[in-house]
Amino acid sequence: MLVSLKWLRDYVDLEISPQDLAGKLTMLGLEVESIASIRPDFSGVRVARITGIKPHPNADKLLLCDIWTGDRTIPVVCGATNIKVGDVVPLALVGATLPGGLTIKKSKIRGEVSEGMLCSERELLLGQDHSGIMLLPEDLPVGEELGAALGADDTVFDISVTPNRSDCLSIIGIAREVAAATGKPVRYPDTALSENDEDINRITSVTIEAPDLCPRYLARVLKNVHIAPSPPWLRQRLEAFGLRSINNVVDVTNFVMIELGQPLHAFDFDQLAEGRIVVRRSQPGETFVSLDGKKRVLPSDAILICDGKKPVAIGGVMGGINSEVTDGTSVILLEAAYFQPSSIRHTARLLGMATDAAFRFERGIDPEGLIRAVDRAAKLIADLSGGDICKGVIDQHPGSIPVARDIVLRLKNVEGIIGASISAEKVIKILEALGMEIKEADDETLLVTPLSSRVDITQEIDLIEEIARMYGYDMIPATLPHIFAASDSSGGRRIETETMIRRVMNGSGYTEVINYSFIHPSSVDDLLLSSDDRRRNQVFISNPLTEEQSVMRTTMVYSLLKNVLKNFDWGRSDIKIFEIGRTYLWESQSKESSELNKAAFLITGRRYEERWNFDDEKSDFYDLKGCVENILDALHVPAPSYRAAAGESFLHPGKSCGIYSNEDRIGFLGEVHPDVLLRLGISAPVTVGELDLDIVTSVAIFKKGFYSIPKFPAVLRDVAFLARRDVEAKDFVAAAQQSRQELLEKVDIFDVYEGENIPDGMKSLGLRFQYRSTDRTLTDDEVNSIHSRIVESITRSLGVTIR
Amino acid sequence: MIPELESLREQVDEELKTARTEAEFQALRIRYLGRKGLLTGLLRNIANVQPDQRPLFGKRCNELKEFVSAKIDQHLAELAVSEKEKSLRTERIDVTLPGRAVRYGSLHPITKVRDEICGIFAGLGFSIEEGPEIELDYYNFEALNIPADHPARDMHDTFYVDEKRVLRTHTSPVEIRTMQKNSPPIRIISPGKVYRRDSDISHTPMFHQIEGLLVDKGITLANLKGVLTHFLKKMFGEETAVRFRPSYFPFTEPSAEVDIRCVICGGKGCRVCKQSGWLEILGAGMTHPQVFKNVGYDPEIYSGFAFGLGLERIAMLKYGISDIRLFFEGDLRFLEQF
Ligand SMILES: [Zn+2]
Repeated sequence: MLVSLKWLRDYVDLEISPQDLAGKLTMLGLEVESIASIRPDFSGVRVARITGIKPHPNADKLLLCDIWTGDRTIPVVCGATNIKVGDVVPLALVGATLPGGLTIKKSKIRGEVSEGMLCSERELLLGQDHSGIMLLPEDLPVGEELGAALGADDTVFDISVTPNRSDCLSIIGIAREVAAATGKPVRYPDTALSENDEDINRITSVTIEAPDLCPRYLARVLKNVHIAPSPPWLRQRLEAFGLRSINNVVDVTNFVMIELGQPLHAFDFDQLAEGRIVVRRSQPGETFVSLDGKKRVLPSDAILICDGKKPVAIGGVMGGINSEVTDGTSVILLEAAYFQPSSIRHTARLLGMATDAAFRFERGIDPEGLIRAVDRAAKLIADLSGGDICKGVIDQHPGSIPVARDIVLRLKNVEGIIGASISAEKVIKILEALGMEIKEADDETLLVTPLSSRVDITQEIDLIEEIARMYGYDMIPATLPHIFAASDSSGGRRIETETMIRRVMNGSGYTEVINYSFIHPSSVDDLLLSSDDRRRNQVFISNPLTEEQSVMRTTMVYSLLKNVLKNFDWGRSDIKIFEIGRTYLWESQSKESSELNKAAFLITGRRYEERWNFDDEKSDFYDLKGCVENILDALHVPAPSYRAAAGESFLHPGKSCGIYSNEDRIGFLGEVHPDVLLRLGISAPVTVGELDLDIVTSVAIFKKGFYSIPKFPAVLRDVAFLARRDVEAKDFVAAAQQSRQELLEKVDIFDVYEGENIPDGMKSLGLRFQYRSTDRTLTDDEVNSIHSRIVESITRSLGVTIR
Repeated sequence: MIPELESLREQVDEELKTARTEAEFQALRIRYLGRKGLLTGLLRNIANVQPDQRPLFGKRCNELKEFVSAKIDQHLAELAVSEKEKSLRTERIDVTLPGRAVRYGSLHPITKVRDEICGIFAGLGFSIEEGPEIELDYYNFEALNIPADHPARDMHDTFYVDEKRVLRTHTSPVEIRTMQKNSPPIRIISPGKVYRRDSDISHTPMFHQIEGLLVDKGITLANLKGVLTHFLKKMFGEETAVRFRPSYFPFTEPSAEVDIRCVICGGKGCRVCKQSGWLEILGAGMTHPQVFKNVGYDPEIYSGFAFGLGLERIAMLKYGISDIRLFFEGDLRFLEQF
């Protein structure tokens, strides 16, 4: 809300600087977001008086004027026809600058010297009128700078008003806050008016057919109104608020809305069929042309203000073009109403019409401020337009409006919530400064009636907030509560898992990314997911910003592949990234969404960055597998295994695996399918993996003991086997372990070889067997006999030979 | 035979002087002390010495033997030292070449800031809770005292999934879920992703918040100030000035915005703090009695406070990042700096 300090001064004295006032308001919860200085866009323009006019000797259409500047008389050549001797006018002296940058110079016009220029409204950007010289009020001090004389200099605060403080959407509301904070009184505007003898009830009537939406409607009628441009003071007020001046009637309705917070509307009474007002709810599909000239299809249950035949305004939102006040208007009907806030909000949102009126109605106006507002406006219109105010106000009040009610404040709760000891006297002083009435008081409780405009104050806690606010947050001590032990939390374990993954991946050179949770719906097609894959059950956003961000992701892999594409564009070809986040599934059975915690990894390009002492090798499946092994190892995931053919449509069928702990599938790993790479336009092989962190966390062993350091030496035996290519490493390890020989401590694969000297379709696999006893040093003979049994059982069970 | 010994000794002295290499000294050892060496030969010929002179001869021979042996050992030792010094002088690597370890990966700046904040609150006994990101309208709004058509919904430009589901616009619904599950005392923080329908240089449609909630008997606004001041001083430095000012959130009352003295300009006023000298860091407030009623807590017995802060904002201040979108573009040139 833009607040002109000059306007504010009409209602409360400001004896502090704008900066200090801004600080005070901010600390009261009315955050001043910016302070702007308004100055007229001209300089060197003075108030002057015409003391003589004679015709220009050499030009029929020009005049020679003598102008009294306050200290001397100067000659000015002028072409206007609306001036006479004695007029007070704006004079741009030699050296003056006008809006747009024009500088006034001494000149000779058709042989006559001109030492200045008389200006029109538009030339000074003080109005639209360019038909003649601007005529200033007779009483302006001649010789003074025009800007100062008109009071055009101003300071404007942009105040961020929180949604609860509808009372501060008015200058008077801000003035009340300033008054409460500075101890000054508020001066309320004058609403005394004089009416003629014509009873309004003989002119018009108001019928409310929807009292739930419009519980109260007030009308006044003014006759013989003369529509004209508004005077400068009114225009300046509106412009400081950011509104354009229209005419002396519309401007007054806006002025009073900003002044008092009550939106008003003026109808051209002669355009109202049957000369009456009917308030009803809209019919489905009804259309209406609003003041801005747009044809609106109204939502049902909007409030329609109608005449005897047709709608003339969308109640609380905007008037209609069919009853607009125009230059020819002479009778007006002024409306001040209370509309149901949520109905206005609903209508304004559906129509996309965030008008100043709707903004105030939906936040709740002062239910007791209607008469004051309509009287204030009638008085101002009568003053400015010479109209007559007809006798009486029509006040239809068929519905109920929540009004301020008495609130019991228990003094112990003030300290109980705020944590500062504030005396009862201080509490009472604060509440009274805010205009509240203390109806009863004893040692423990107060009975408080808030101001009717404070629609946000309905219960004890609201009063406590007011007390804290006015007492000053900076006066409240800062104390730590007593500490108690942390309770166990659901998040804890999985966060340990995530921390471990981050540690392992960082150590392996992978950088963490965070991608948007929403992606393009075609991601599931790009990943070639089969029609029955549950990851096709995406959660759709009903109002996405773009299609690119319109479904919640069901895999992490897609986001990482997109990261690769972009980084390729930025010139990176070696990429190691990982992400920890969620995927989201729509469970069509239960019609619920579910969220899964995942970690995903990706590598493409070189295994190591390009460096003088690193091999220039391309990364592959085993790079990522090593990381996954380290993670599972660090988390003590029991019995991990990697089973060929992950069964993931987006992975290479021969270079991928499912990751298991015992029989629980905890993730997958593999090279991305070439068809997927092709679809996405990725030109290099990529390996990806994903772990399901909810399952990993549930199987991980967080509290683990340790093995004692072996006391006796190990004995090693190496063997090279010759096997068919499809015999997997894990088969050898499994076969060795099948021997159940407890002295066999572990089996490692130290060499894999295919090629020269190895028959086609075969491979050589070197295994290292490690034997150890916990209670003695093994002898060669002992080891040899066990070892040869194990090797023999491997060759027999796998059908392989020793090389 | 003694003169022979004498001349042998002179000969040895001479040869020891001329020997230079380890091989020459070893050759000397063999030449004099070996099984067929000159000294050994002399001793073997002791029979040719007159019997009365034999003890003296033997003694002298042994003395000379020990002398030669010691001399050779000494020269060899000196030689070893000088060889070592020579090799220390000549062996050189280029220590300015890069090392061999794989480059350490980077944590996302949001993760770093989150861990730091969670760590500070863990020290105050707060534990971590989480909640769904696809959230029921009830938890995101209704239970937090924000009914449909409430003007406060303007503060949340919401992504909807369907009539009753939204992408949560803040982490505050975790407060409700936690209180429904547990009885007081409650002391939790909840980091997570939140979503608002907004996208420009200072807004991304997804961002991160941390929510905090503390409920017990006798919790006050002064405690709120105490806990959050402690946090902000840990986060931004002990000398950081902190300011609490009244604000409005439907689910807290009294409510506060918490500012710190601008870390960019030190309070003089700059573009980042919009010339105010202060930076808005946290929203907070005393839990509204209606919220307690919504979860079945008695506001006459319990009180508490809640707070929420945006991680991106803190990361941007901490690292001087001016475009929030950088966090989510996966640009390694950006991410590898952390
Ligand atoms: Zn600053």
